[in-house]
Parts: sequence; structure tokens; C-alpha cells
Amino acid sequence: MEYVIKTEGLTKKFGKETAVDRLDMKIRKGEIYGFLGPNGAGKSTTIRMLLGLMKPDSGMVRVFNKDLKKERIHILKRVGSLVENPSYYPHLTAYENLEALRKILRVSEARIHEVLEIVRLSDVAHKKVKGFSLGMKQRLGIAVSMLHQPELLILDEPTNGLDPSGIIEIRNLIQRLPEEYGMTILISSHLLSEIDQIATTVGVISKGKMIFQDSIHAMRKHSRQTIILKVNDGKRAEHILQGKGIYANYQDSMLLLSKLSDQKVAEIVRMLVQNGLAIYRVEEKQSSLEDIFLQMTREEA
Amino acid sequence: MRYILQSEWYKLRKSKIIFIIFTSPLVGLFLGLTTQLVNEMEGNEWYLSLFTMNVTYALLFLPLITGVLASIICRYEHQEGGWKQLLALPVTRGKVFVAKYVLLMFLVLFMQLLYFVAIYLVGWINGFTDPFPMDIVWKSILGGWVATFPLVALQLWMSILFKSFAAPFTVNVIFTLPTILAVNSEKFGPYYPWAQPFAMMNVGGNVGDVFFIPWEQLLTVVGGSFLLFFIGGYMYFQRKPV
Amino acid sequence: MLRQLLVADFLKIKRKGFWLLTFLGPLGVVALQMVNYGLRKDYLLQQSDNDWEYYLSNVHSFTPLALILGIAIFTSIIANIENETNAWKQLVSLPVSKMSVYLSKFTALASLLLVSSILLMVFTLLFGVFLDLGEEIPYVELFQYSFYPYFAALPILSLQLWIAIVSKNQGIPITTGVLGVVFAYSAYYLPDWMIWKWPSLMNAWGEPVVNALLGVGLGCVLYLVGMFDFVRRDVK
Ligand SMILES: Nc1ncnc2c1ncn2[C@@H]1O[C@H](COP(=O)(O)OP(=O)(O)OP(=O)(O)O)[C@@H](O)[C@H]1O
Ligand SMILES: [Mg+2]
Repeated sequence: MEYVIKTEGLTKKFGKETAVDRLDMKIRKGEIYGFLGPNGAGKSTTIRMLLGLMKPDSGMVRVFNKDLKKERIHILKRVGSLVENPSYYPHLTAYENLEALRKILRVSEARIHEVLEIVRLSDVAHKKVKGFSLGMKQRLGIAVSMLHQPELLILDEPTNGLDPSGIIEIRNLIQRLPEEYGMTILISSHLLSEIDQIATTVGVISKGKMIFQDSIHAMRKHSRQTIILKVNDGKRAEHILQGKGIYANYQDSMLLLSKLSDQKVAEIVRMLVQNGLAIYRVEEKQSSLEDIFLQMTREEA
Repeated sequence: MRYILQSEWYKLRKSKIIFIIFTSPLVGLFLGLTTQLVNEMEGNEWYLSLFTMNVTYALLFLPLITGVLASIICRYEHQEGGWKQLLALPVTRGKVFVAKYVLLMFLVLFMQLLYFVAIYLVGWINGFTDPFPMDIVWKSILGGWVATFPLVALQLWMSILFKSFAAPFTVNVIFTLPTILAVNSEKFGPYYPWAQPFAMMNVGGNVGDVFFIPWEQLLTVVGGSFLLFFIGGYMYFQRKPV
Repeated sequence: MLRQLLVADFLKIKRKGFWLLTFLGPLGVVALQMVNYGLRKDYLLQQSDNDWEYYLSNVHSFTPLALILGIAIFTSIIANIENETNAWKQLVSLPVSKMSVYLSKFTALASLLLVSSILLMVFTLLFGVFLDLGEEIPYVELFQYSFYPYFAALPILSLQLWIAIVSKNQGIPITTGVLGVVFAYSAYYLPDWMIWKWPSLMNAWGEPVVNALLGVGLGCVLYLVGMFDFVRRDVK
């Protein structure tokens, strides 16, 4: 299988603290890869290493099947990026910012207008960027990352500071890119809800370690169903079940049972009824992706 | 490389660097018009004027202002993540460093040319009638420029290292102030890199050579310190985390 | 209120090298004479009948330059502490008056420079005694050469602080500092009204105290001008 990005044992330390710990990341062509993790998990540090901005302490990065260490320039010609807060030259206008980069990237001047149009900044193209709002700067950052029509787009929290309509706009834009331009996209976020509608694959990082990496469907399957029982005397029911070695948890006048087979559920119900308890409801609850994500990162911590 | 230079120039053009460049002829005019000594010397009246102007210009102004230029050329990279953006482009760090250095040296050259104009204006305002000592003036203008090669390299290094203006400037001041004493010393003056602009612009030095200082001194002191500072800065930039 | 602000300002300038520079400035000025006298003491002692006086004037030849450059560096760093973190907006939205914010910065720097001047006096005296320049130590001159330049430089402090605080681009105050040192080095030729001449203690009357008094007076005026301009401006 050919990967657009493939890292092996990627590690970065800051002093004693290990910010990225033996990370193996695999991204296939055409994927929208959601890179998830709480604050300080090591997302930005990983992305910096993917771009060669920081040198890893150990491990390897391959992009387009080429060694980043050896063919950095070659790789970067095909990569667009936005790392953490958007970068810009405050004394230049939006147009001039793009022009300064265009001189190095050697794309046509028309492309500047195109990307400004895409992020809807055409109206303020000739305004100095130091006068931009946070969201406008973010859009400019996205415009910059797409200037040279990259095959791989690396976006570190690109919706930071955008208003709801801006978030939807950018989300729609990102969703279109793989189909229309054959791009592959790596997008980081600390909110699963932000990307669960567009990501095809997710990687979850916590404390520098990759704790989950698979398709978004697999992540959904990972979700644990919970059986909820509502009975007249929860305390007693809990006691009875625990006596039989079944772990139950009584809270908020509900009895929570982790995922069980249908037969087992039937058995439990029978047992409770035989003990003279009244059962009002038996429900199954699917935990949301956000719950799973929180669960995963909490378990790790 | 050409493209990086073009891009650097484009960014720089829009900064306020031009005002700083134009302080050079203004300082030249100020020095030429206020520091009038009574002309007791025999010979060309341009010489005395040149001499008094060049002392302060080469001793203090030129070394200090080149540091300011170096800081300006790095300022907008430090400000809002410029390094991060620039170095994620398909460019090598080495080329970025060289481009910034080359651009700086062009700016210093341009400043020296403006200073040349100032020298001419001073003579014109003072109504000098003696012939203009073209070769000597050129010698000191270009010599002063060559002498800043190592100084600019160190200042570029410091400006990449420090975000603030004040820190590289402090380094610059610490090295520049002792020059005032160093040039009085026959033993130390010739070996002190910061004294070289003065030595190179000091009319009345050794007139026989191409510049006012001997070739050996030029190659060892200016050349040697240039290599040291340039390579130091270059290596540092390779490893700078952004 | 001013006291809390001052405490805060002294906290903020921690680890920014202020104390080091406060110490390094006067040490550097005297160290240059150590090198000077170390290399050619005999020659220098021949230059004058009054060795102490001559030594003091040698030290003093660098004091104005160091003062002016030091002021440019200090004002630029202190303004930059707020600029680089965009902290002006936070500082000014505290329940304090903008005037006291400005006064606190000025007071902090003026105190540091005063400490520098005291250190200058101490270092000058110590090295002078070490050089064994004679029994009669001219304490009055020592005092004058150590503190008059400080008072005479107050207008420059006011001006540089003003420029540094209102400039987004710290290249501007630093360049002003470079021009200032060029002026100070040409002090001999400057007209008396140029403030960069004042720390040299030269004037038409040959009375150094005039420069110190003028310095305090104009320093206050320029301070007020800068402060009112700061108060008037929007905080970005
Ligand atoms: N330059 C640095 N020096 C020291 N430590 C650093 C540096 N950069 C990052 N770290 C540390 O590395 C860890 C990971 O930081 P990183 O910025 O990669 O997190 P992140 O996942 O991007 O977080 P966020 O969601 O807040 O952006 C943090 O603990 C941080 O303190
Ligand atoms: Mg981050």
C-alpha cells in the first residue's frame, strides 16, 4: 500500500518531556485524515516535523514515499500548510502577502485571485493584514496553503477563530478538495465534532502517543453500547447483580450495564423479576463519537 | 535563489527601511556641515572635510546602523510566524540565509553611495574649489563597505537568534564602543574587526594599495572574521527551531 | 497605585537583562579605561599635571555614549515587553490610569539608570585608587562626572521612552538612539540647545551644573508631552 504520509517511530523531546512518542502515522492518498488530540497532545509538534520545521530526535518521515530528510524541497513543492496560528507579514496587504510567496512558488498571478476568491477575501485583498480580524487572518492562511495547488494539504486547527458560517464554509471547501483536485488532507483538531462529518480516517493522539488510528467507521464500531435498566429499587438490584458477579453501576436512579449479549440481558431481567423487582424500562444507549474520544483520551491519561 | 531574493526584496520594499537608509546621507551632511575645523592643513580642502566626516561615520554610525538593517530584515519573519511559513516553502534554509545576507549587503552599498552624494553636497555647500579627489573618496566608500561584510554577518546571526531589536543592538554596541579606543592603538586597532570600517575609510592611510589598509590585514582580519560570523550564523540558522 | 505598577514593572523586566545591563554599562565604561591605562599608563600620566582630573575626563569621554545607547536599549526593551505579547490592551484595561502606567515605566528606567550612575561612581573610584593617581581624591568632581550626565540625559530618556512606546516598529527608537550617539560624539561642535550635547557637560559658560539642571527641567517637560500623547492614543 502506498501512503502519502508515513511516519515510523517519530519521536521529539523537549528537555525531559517527550512531546511526540514513537508515533506511526499512515495516511493514504485521497483521505481526509482527522488528527485528534487534546491540548498539548503533540499535534502541532508532529505537524512541524512533517514539514521539516523541527528535526525529530528519532524516527522517520516519508511523504509521497520519499524520505523527508533527503528530499525536503522536492516534497514541499507539493505540500501546502497552515501551522498553528496563521503566519503573515503584517505590513503587507493580503494580496501582497500572497505575491511575496508567489515569487518563490512560481505560480501564475491569476492564482492569487483564485485563492482569494475561494476563501472569500477578494473584497479586502488590498487591506493591510495587521488590520484583519482573527477569522480573516485564518482565511488568508488557508489561501496561502492552497496557493500552489498542493497535492497534500496540512492544516493545523484551520477553523480556529472562524464564525459558524466560516467553519461550515471551510468544511465544505475541504470536503470538495479530494474529489475535485485529488488532494490528500491532514487536518488537526481537538474537537471530534469539528471533523467527524468530513474525515474519512482518524488518528487520535494523547500525550504524544497514537492511541487510535483507523477509519471513522471503525471508530464508530468502537463505540460501546450501554444497557440502561430502570427499576423500582436500584440499590437492591445493584446488590443482587453484584452478588452474581455481574458488574452494574447505579446512578441517577438508573442501573447501567456495559455491553452484554442479548441472552445475558434476558437472564438478568429474569433474575431481577424473580427477586420481586419491578422493571420499568430496558434501553440501549449508543455513546457518541465525542464520548468515545473523551473516553479514549481519558483512559490513556 | 533568484526567486528567493525577489521575494525578500518584495517584502522589504514595503517596510520602512528606506527611512533608515536615508539617515546615512543626513548624518553625512550633519557631520560635514557642523564639525568644521579650521583648515590649517595645506593641500586639498576636501581632505579635512572627508577626514572629520569619516571618523564619526565609520567609527559609530556605520557599524551600528548596519545592525539595525539586519534586525529589520528579520523583523517581519519573527512577528507573526513568518519563519514558519517561509521555511515550509520549498526553499533551503541556506538559500534563505544567503538571500537575506546578499540583500543586506546591497542595502549597505546603496547607503554608502548616498553617503558619497552627501560628501559631494558638503563640498558644494561649503564652496570648495579644489579638485574633487575621486579616487580617494571611492576608496573609502568601497573600503567602508567591504569592512562591513563581517559585521553584517554577525548582526544577521544575532537578528535571527533574537526576536527583539534591543538584544542584537546590545551586542552591536558592546563591540562597537571599544572601537573608539582600539583605533588609537597601533597594536590592537588593525586586528579588531569593528575598527576596520574606520581603517578603510580613514583617508590618509596607506595610499599605495587598493584600499587604505594592507591586503594581509584585509584578508586575515576582515576575511577571517567574515568567515567566522557568516559560517556561525549559517550553521545556527540550519538548526534554529521554528 | 503607582507602587503596585512599579512592582509589576520590576517583575516584568526580570530575566530581560536589565540588571545585567545596569551593571555592565558602568563597568564597561570603566573597563575601557582599564584597558587604556593598562596599555599605556606612562604615556597617559604624562599628559597632564592633575592625574585624577585627567583620569576622570577619560572615563567621562565614554559616559555620554554609554548613557545614550543604554537609554535606547532600555526604552526599547521595556516597550517591547508589552508590544510583543500584545499586553498593552491588557495592562490598560486594568483599573489603573494610563498616566500612572506611563509614569511607572519612566520611574523604573530612571531608577535603573540612577543605580548605573552610582555604580559608575564606585567603579571609577575603585579603579582610580588602584591606579594610585595621588592622595587627593577629587570627590566633588567624581560626584559631578558620575551624576550630572545622568540628570543631563533625562530629556533623552523622556524622548526615547516616548518614541519607543508609540512605535510599533522598534527600529525607529533604535535608529534614533544611533543618531543620538552620533550627535553625542560630535558634542564639541553642537550648539548648546541640542539635548544630545548635554551629557557631555560642555556649555558656553563652562558650568556643568547648568546641563544637569536644564536636563531635569526639560526632562520633565518632555516626559509630560510623551505621557499626554500616550494617554491620548488608542490602545491597539
Ligand atoms: N518549543 C517548545 N519548547 C518546549 N516544549 C514544547 C515546545 N513546543 C511544544 N512543546 C510541548 O510539547 C507538547 C506538545 O505540544 P503541541 O503544541 O504539539 O500540542 P498540540 O497537540 O498542538 O496542542 P494544542 O491543541 O493546544 O494546539 C506540549 O506539552 C508542549 O508544552
Ligand atoms: Mg497545536
